[in-house]
Amino acid sequence: MKMNTFTRELIAILGPEGVLSRPEDLMLYEYDGLSTLETPEAVVFPTSTEHVIQIVRLASARRVPIIPRGAGTGLSGGAVVTSGGIVVSLARMKKIVEIDLENQRARVQPGVVNTDLTLAVADAGYYYAPDPSSQKACTIGGNVAENSGGPHTLAYGVTTNHVLGLEAVLPDGEVIRTGGKCWDLPGYDLTGLMVGSEGTLGIVTEITVRLMRTPEAVETLLAVYDRVIDATKTVAAITAQGITPAALEMMDGFTLRAVEQATHAGYPMDSAAVLLIEVEGMREAVKEQAEQIEAVCAKNQVRSVRHAKTSDERALLWKGRKNAFGALGRISPNYYVQDGVIPRTKLPEMLEFIEEVARKYDFQIGNIFHAGDGNLHPLLMYDARDLDQSRRVVKAAQEIMARCAELGGSITGEHGVGVEKNELMPLVFSQDDLEFQRQIKNVMNPTGSFNPGKVLPSGKMCGELRVQVSAGG
Amino acid sequence: MAGVPEAVRTALAAIVGEVQLGTEPSVCEVLSVDGRVPDCVIYPGSAEQVAKTLKCAADNGLAVVAFGSATKLGIGNPPRKYDIALCTRNLTDVRYYEPSDLTAGVGAGMKFRDLQNLFKPDKLWLPLDPAGGGESTIGGIVAANVSGPLRHFYGTPRDMVVGMHVATTEGKLIKTGGRVVKNVAGYDLGKLLIGSYGTLGVITEVNLKLFPLPAERKTFILSTGTLGVARDLRRSILASPVEPLRMVLLDGKTAGVIGQGVQSERMSNEPQIWLEAGGSKSVVDRIWRELNALGQAVGAQVHTHDNEDTAGAWQAISDFASWTGKTYPGSVVLRGTMPIANSEKFLSLVQQEAQNEKVRMASVAQPGVGIVYLGLLNPQNSGQAAGLVSRIRNAAEKSDGALVVISAPAEVKAQVDAWGTAGTGFELMRKLKAAWDPKGILSPGRFVGAV
Repeated sequence: MKMNTFTRELIAILGPEGVLSRPEDLMLYEYDGLSTLETPEAVVFPTSTEHVIQIVRLASARRVPIIPRGAGTGLSGGAVVTSGGIVVSLARMKKIVEIDLENQRARVQPGVVNTDLTLAVADAGYYYAPDPSSQKACTIGGNVAENSGGPHTLAYGVTTNHVLGLEAVLPDGEVIRTGGKCWDLPGYDLTGLMVGSEGTLGIVTEITVRLMRTPEAVETLLAVYDRVIDATKTVAAITAQGITPAALEMMDGFTLRAVEQATHAGYPMDSAAVLLIEVEGMREAVKEQAEQIEAVCAKNQVRSVRHAKTSDERALLWKGRKNAFGALGRISPNYYVQDGVIPRTKLPEMLEFIEEVARKYDFQIGNIFHAGDGNLHPLLMYDARDLDQSRRVVKAAQEIMARCAELGGSITGEHGVGVEKNELMPLVFSQDDLEFQRQIKNVMNPTGSFNPGKVLPSGKMCGELRVQVSAGG
Repeated sequence: MAGVPEAVRTALAAIVGEVQLGTEPSVCEVLSVDGRVPDCVIYPGSAEQVAKTLKCAADNGLAVVAFGSATKLGIGNPPRKYDIALCTRNLTDVRYYEPSDLTAGVGAGMKFRDLQNLFKPDKLWLPLDPAGGGESTIGGIVAANVSGPLRHFYGTPRDMVVGMHVATTEGKLIKTGGRVVKNVAGYDLGKLLIGSYGTLGVITEVNLKLFPLPAERKTFILSTGTLGVARDLRRSILASPVEPLRMVLLDGKTAGVIGQGVQSERMSNEPQIWLEAGGSKSVVDRIWRELNALGQAVGAQVHTHDNEDTAGAWQAISDFASWTGKTYPGSVVLRGTMPIANSEKFLSLVQQEAQNEKVRMASVAQPGVGIVYLGLLNPQNSGQAAGLVSRIRNAAEKSDGALVVISAPAEVKAQVDAWGTAGTGFELMRKLKAAWDPKGILSPGRFVGAV
């Protein structure tokens, strides 16, 4: 059988421990953080760049699509199989290749878990800034593919602002090195192009990142509101004061009650919204900014402002925020998390709209926002066993996306396009814009063998969210 | 006058209007690049006119070099062909400006000065201090991804541009990115265009992320004596809680020139670290105490100056390349980029090379970033200059970096590549260029690998 020969060839490259081919094993790779699609023909685990090259050459010769995968935590279906092929899991390429503190750089393999890099340099007083909520599981390779964000990217930028160089294997098996340890290397910014390309332009096998100095002081505030509108007004007012917090997060009452029940972080059960605000830097700056923020909160009818007194208390507040999705999973059979962006001044207007959508489609919607940069994560609670609900939830999410686009925003701020939103791309780009993007893809991935069916619209399904919403829970 | 045939000139005039097309030799002469003079200068009044101009040029196989205020026109290899100079200075619309969102979208031709004046009343700014200062246009700044010492804290245009409109050689207007500060919809084509020096398309509009102006700013000057002391100070400052907005290491020659512009600063021909910090009064006071302690530990004196006294000096530091060029005709200005820790070692190596050749030198380094600007002030001839550039480039490339020629006489540029080794990504770069500019009309031959 063709499949068997192919599997044998893969085993010849990687050894039996590097290849999964039994149906019960392959089933585990049918899904990622978004949804379930096809079963891969095989799942392979390279441990070196050389392995990746050989896999790519073999698969290309046989015209088998390749789907790169990190930890599978992605929320836009970037790692699922759409039209056959093998999954290349980078999870075993997890070496921190070099830590170079004087140059404030680290070189890592793609399978290094986000938080492990920070743990490796924390004692020396450094950290890696991008911090997606899944940072304890997600890989830096996956972060590069999605150009991931996180709460602390408000002040320091997203993944692309912290990646200086890449090694990548192209669809023809060639290896390129882009960028390096220094800034501004001459030539087109291929590093910048590859970051966020969702595994469609190359398989990243090594990443050079910037490390940042741990700030001298951190202050974490929890501002509690009786009305959502006051919380959203506070967000705009903080910015207007010229303060850029390290993080500025918002949760509505529904969400924070679920979070509180799950994590006991001390969020008040009877409030309408909370802001989780963090400022960091020099002691003096942090103290002043915390005072200014408290004054702004007071002007906007805050009920109370709580300061985390210890690092444990701070960690607990963040645990509540970072595990919020899981907490909502406890109270609803399923949820569908959306990722949209709006100009931050439109927050109040957008929240009202989301409420309308919730009423219209008869869903409970929980709201978690990276409020500081206008990045919204409404979570739509539904029951996937109910077919009608499953259909309605997609429609509701789509209305929210369309509204984000209308307000001058974007259909994704950090989760990526994947298979979920490629048909929605026309909401924010013209045909000419997309054609220009397609030209780049054709140059880099001419046969379309890398991660097919992602990012760009297929043109077959007009303007629809494409998702079997069932996994989120 | 081979280049632009009469019929094409008429067509171009029809696109922008007769008065927006300059053909007089005196007008064209000023825009010469390495001895090549364009046949005409065109000043489109809208993005659509830029697109039409590019299409017309592409249809007729004419080479276009785009510029804003021409402050960086000389950077790059000599053009293989240069028929039309395309100026974006008339694209000055403010498309939107939302102070509360900290975002703005403006025409590529808007001057940096006008941009900052627009934001200033709201206590906002675009935290860049590029060469060319207020005169340079935002389109030019983005196309060249230029930054000055402020990049230490704020980064480069790459970190501030959230969207763009670009005219292509097909005559289309393309949007990349958007208006919001966080956005991962589609390929990040903006990254390719930022720093592409007009070789992929012509930027017509730029959407920017803005930043709050620091409440107070102060400059601290630390006399370092030797490069060894400078290195120790750089290490201790970067390891301290002090967060400089910008930090440069001036060699003795440059310190002497720059210091003249600052009142009450005693003349010095010693290497100095200039550091600007910002924030509230108590933050700035704390930084003053920290720097004093760090200075004392290595025997370096620390002086402090108010923002108003040093603004001109900082601009002069950013304009290192242009004042070097003007003061020393025949001089060569280079920009080295390298891992942070290599800056001082590289400087000392270059000083040795220059001394061996009896060439005087000036330098401005950004030691917290790993960027070094060098001026070779009086090379005896182009051969000597080219030889020095090659050796310095070797040193930079050996320390994992690169060396770019910022300005040099045409005879020197004829002997050395402006960009240096292209690396393993070059084949892809060539293909990307071919995809967007299939006829090769945008600044042909000027960029990396002579694409």
